[in-house]
Amino acid sequence: MATGSDQAVGMAMVALSALIFTYYTVWAVVLPFVDDDHIVHQYFLPRPYAVIIPTVAGVVALSAIGSFFGYVMLQDKMKKKTK
Amino acid sequence: MTKLLQWLLGVGLLLGTWACLVWDLVPAQLTPQWKEVVWVAPMYLLMSFACYSLATIGYRVATFNDCEDAAKELQQEIEEARRDLAKKGLKLS
Repeated sequence: MATGSDQAVGMAMVALSALIFTYYTVWAVVLPFVDDDHIVHQYFLPRPYAVIIPTVAGVVALSAIGSFFGYVMLQDKMKKKTK
Repeated sequence: MTKLLQWLLGVGLLLGTWACLVWDLVPAQLTPQWKEVVWVAPMYLLMSFACYSLATIGYRVATFNDCEDAAKELQQEIEEARRDLAKKGLKLS
């Protein structure tokens, strides 16, 4: 079996993904069928945010990955120059 | 037909259907609630895929089979090889 902290991290990721999936499913698929005066609506942001937030998060994630990649490539180039 | 073409065809078909339904290019009678669901559908599928990926990675990390004995043995062998090579003159970083 994986070591303790690995197990904890792995299970935390599974739990997080389950949470995100459930919340997003309710937000995107269930809420349109719920009456507008039901209290559950106050736990969710207005509907357009269901598209904006994932898009922004995706852009941020891709930029982070891209800059990390670029940084590593630059480091490699600098090392090759000084050798 | 290559796999890429197959995937692009599938995605294109899905997006085409979605576009037709959302921009009323087809005489389909959708109630406003279903219209809302269809409008969010591509992002929802993307999010589901992301959650599935995260869950799979997390699960595989948690259930990975660590072999502590093999790891120690490997470390010892690395040390031996390092000493051996250093004797023969090779410098390792």
